Amino acid sequence: MTSPGRRSLNTAELLLAELVTNTLDPGYAAAARRREQRGAESSPHPPRWHDHVAIVVGCLLVGFVVVIAYVHQNRAAPDTATVHDALVQRVQQVQASTDQVAAQERALAANVESLRNAALGSDGGLSAELQQQELLAGTVAAKGPGLQVSLSDPVAPTPAQTAGRKGTVPVGAVQVLTDADIRSVVNQLWSDGAEAISVNDVRLTPTSAIRLAGEAVLVDFQPIASPYVIRAIGNANSLDTAFASSSIASRYQTLQGVSGISFTFSEQTSVTLPGSSSVMPRYAQASSSTTPTSTPSSSSTPSSTGGTR
Amino acid sequence: MIAVLALIVGVVAGLLLKPTVPTALEPYLPIAVIAALDAVFGGARARLDGIFDSKVFVVSFVSNVVVAALIVFLGDKLGVGGQLSTAVVVVLGIRIFGNAAAIRRHLFHA
Repeated sequence: MTSPGRRSLNTAELLLAELVTNTLDPGYAAAARRREQRGAESSPHPPRWHDHVAIVVGCLLVGFVVVIAYVHQNRAAPDTATVHDALVQRVQQVQASTDQVAAQERALAANVESLRNAALGSDGGLSAELQQQELLAGTVAAKGPGLQVSLSDPVAPTPAQTAGRKGTVPVGAVQVLTDADIRSVVNQLWSDGAEAISVNDVRLTPTSAIRLAGEAVLVDFQPIASPYVIRAIGNANSLDTAFASSSIASRYQTLQGVSGISFTFSEQTSVTLPGSSSVMPRYAQASSSTTPTSTPSSSSTPSSTGGTR
Repeated sequence: MIAVLALIVGVVAGLLLKPTVPTALEPYLPIAVIAALDAVFGGARARLDGIFDSKVFVVSFVSNVVVAALIVFLGDKLGVGGQLSTAVVVVLGIRIFGNAAAIRRHLFHA
């Protein structure tokens, strides 16, 4: 491009120049040349029967293809939105139906209970014993004094929160609390003498599990979210003091300052825990047929009541 | 005139029929559109140059679409589908741009 211009172009440059300068399909020029060769003396545009047909077909195809591509491209995006909406709707629907079924189950359980109480009404001892067992199993709503522990994830990792050195706070750590935290609090409460515990109004039963699935904490397969409220029934005073002096409480008080979680616990004069749907043991059986309910360790009295009749 | 009418009819037909594109052909749709646009601009320029030929128009359109799709298909098989479709788009884009410039010169003499 310095001196002679044209002659210094090599093959690749020629190709590029050809590409940029000769943008028209060479077929047109060739066809025009052919026409000239065939008959320069004849009319410059001999009308052929297939001229119009070819143009119409070609333009039809062009418009068709362009519109198909447009429609296709624009349909794909709403499609994903539609699928997402449908999924959300389905999840909500199923959740609603789950709630409905749970409510129905509670109503039926209340019905069963009242009927049973009517049937057992004459014998006060049996009815009281049953009620106690149900309380222990967590199948009926429980009420009493106790402790309420609240744990919640940091609201948002605002820059103002990172007062300390860089790196002390994981940036973007919005979900700090996991199932392990809920579990440790619950275990601490049990060991402090709690008699009944619920986590976000899900009553813990002897078969309850607290686990993590994806990003949700599951209590008995029910997902619960960040403001975790753990209520325990027991001797409010001793629960409070024992929990306050526990290592768990001090750990979360430390975490409160470090990672911005919120952690509070307070004595409650009256706590109401919902009942859980009763789980019927299908495989477990009492090892002796008439085990007294007061002694779970059946080996202590082998002689008097043992043996199958 | 008849070309514009046919174009409109094609657009309307595409809107009305709403054909579902098989997923196997989906990657070639944008390429086909570029090839079609190239054919249209080329045809318009040839008409203004006075050397328009209906046969060349249709054949170039169809062959452009087929060859472009074939190149991309081959590239997909060889693992360079994205690059080859870029190449096709670049080449056809340059041609469209050049043809559009030629049309502009014809129409506005500028």
